[in-house]
Amino acid sequence: MTMTLPSEFLPDAPVVAPDVTLTSLSEEVSSRVLMDRAPLWWWIGFALSFALFTVLIIQMGWLFIGGIGVWGVNIPVAWGLAIAEYVWWIALASGGTIVSALFFLTRSPWRSATNRIAESMLLSAAPCAGLMPIMHLGRPGLFYWLFPYSNVMGVWPQARSPLWWDFICLLCYILMSIMYYYAGILPDLATVRDLARSRFKQIFYGILALGWRGSSEEWRNRRIVYAIMSAIMAPMVVSVHSVVGLDFAGGLTPGWHDTQFPPYFFFGAVISGTAVIMMLTIMVRWGYGLHDVLTGYHLNALAKVMLVGSVMLGYAYVWEAFGPLYGSDVAERTEFFQRIFGFTAPLFWSEKILTVVIPQLLWLPLVRRNQLLLFLISGGIIVGMWQERIMFTTASLEHNSIPSYWGHYWPTVWDWAALAGTIGLFLTMFFLFLRFAPIVSIAEVREVVEQERSK
Amino acid sequence: MKDLFGVIAVFDTAEAVKNAAARLRQQGYRAFEAYTPYPIEGLDQIIHPRPHRLLPGLMFAGALLGAAWGYWIQYWDEALNYPLNVGGRPYNSWPAFMVSTFEFMLLAAIAAGFFGMLALSRLPRLYHPVFEATAFARASRDRFVICIEASEPSFDASVVRREFEQLGAEQIEEVRA
Repeated sequence: MTMTLPSEFLPDAPVVAPDVTLTSLSEEVSSRVLMDRAPLWWWIGFALSFALFTVLIIQMGWLFIGGIGVWGVNIPVAWGLAIAEYVWWIALASGGTIVSALFFLTRSPWRSATNRIAESMLLSAAPCAGLMPIMHLGRPGLFYWLFPYSNVMGVWPQARSPLWWDFICLLCYILMSIMYYYAGILPDLATVRDLARSRFKQIFYGILALGWRGSSEEWRNRRIVYAIMSAIMAPMVVSVHSVVGLDFAGGLTPGWHDTQFPPYFFFGAVISGTAVIMMLTIMVRWGYGLHDVLTGYHLNALAKVMLVGSVMLGYAYVWEAFGPLYGSDVAERTEFFQRIFGFTAPLFWSEKILTVVIPQLLWLPLVRRNQLLLFLISGGIIVGMWQERIMFTTASLEHNSIPSYWGHYWPTVWDWAALAGTIGLFLTMFFLFLRFAPIVSIAEVREVVEQERSK
Repeated sequence: MKDLFGVIAVFDTAEAVKNAAARLRQQGYRAFEAYTPYPIEGLDQIIHPRPHRLLPGLMFAGALLGAAWGYWIQYWDEALNYPLNVGGRPYNSWPAFMVSTFEFMLLAAIAAGFFGMLALSRLPRLYHPVFEATAFARASRDRFVICIEASEPSFDASVVRREFEQLGAEQIEEVRA
């Protein structure tokens, strides 16, 4: 695998620190998995996350007893926080695949150390996304009716509906991501197995590593498959998030009914997913002391991806305004003016500032080197994208084609509990990934280390 | 005494192991394998020179089968088993079936690749005789290992040992399992 380094920037920050060797790399990263006691910050973080996760359990219990009326959804606004957050979560997850698969294809050297964080993030976020529509079903116990299987009821799902496409997309996406993750982590599990001291860990990681030996034949097979997998995952993730856009574009509601939404949603996925990866990378870097593997080079590269995402999103926002203003549909135009000057105006304008205006700071190399600023900008982007999804989902429903049918949406405490709870689920899963699986792709960083050494 | 499985030699650089593999191949050795911490460009062509086209073919076949499977599910559902008139659209509304067909196609291609990779690498195989060598553990970390197996027709442990010494091996060990 040849990797080239762009010569334009950062003579001061190599991809990995020059004192990293094959030996120190394997031992450093594996020791974070193999240490007998997790550090204090891990326990504090895990305890907080788990506490939030119990909020989700309580919320789901109350929701399933009381029905979705415990949320703020009503008629006309039948899709509230839960659906908007479904979109938000799946966008975060998609960002993980974009960083991992797309930048594998471009042979970007910074991808090697960040792809595991990205994929762990994606595998933690995808279940949160999947839960949202199931909770929103009203009769969540019947969600399995979505599976196309021959059943005694003699009924089948309606395969022409974007909502069903979306279900198939998410299902295939999660299954494919698990296989992609596992094909990537296999050699690292073997490294952990060979470094484990206790019998239990040797057996545990021995089974997970499936007996990987690193023979030239195994490497060849993995390389062929991994490259093709990446080439498949990259368009796959575009299709997943575009179909989420079709859920809305397929409806006749003003503000939703526009062909631009599949790419519009995908642009949001690029920026918000990268922002989460940025925050997690900074946290993993400090928490696990991996400064020499996750360097300024990686943060700089992620920041550039975010910047591109924000520019693409800005482009989509221009078209979001152009459509209703240029077109002749009164309902579209009314809805748009309500969106930008009405009830949802605070969401609309603060979101534009957070996701498009502030990220323009990333043009400055100074900002791309400042971790605190990167962390804050990323946090702002994630909050901003959340606002965008909420505003997009509810504002359109609030101002439907018939003025007598207009109404407002306000989330209840149980809506917020669903948000807090899924954040808890996400963080709980991510902390478990952090503790039990190598969080940096050791095998791939080895190649970067060897490249750097031979320069 | 356990049976001799082979002799392993440990090298400390990727270039050394590549040179060693090329040299062994030249001398007529066939039953040997290299174990390395990361894939080394060209090493697999030296040890397994036959071109390798099975995996991409398998994934392509998976893609075709997945697409056929995905389309068939929807065709069976909408046109044959449970025909439902939605807005007067034809029962076999193929444009609407394309998204799910596409997803099933990719899923089957990736699954074929993933399981094909394991099967062709003969994994899972939790035990392999080469694990018995103490020097082998570092092959997953920072060392490059070659093992000449005793199944080699003209195998002679002392000759192999001398060969490895000439090639500059850092450490040589007999593998018994």
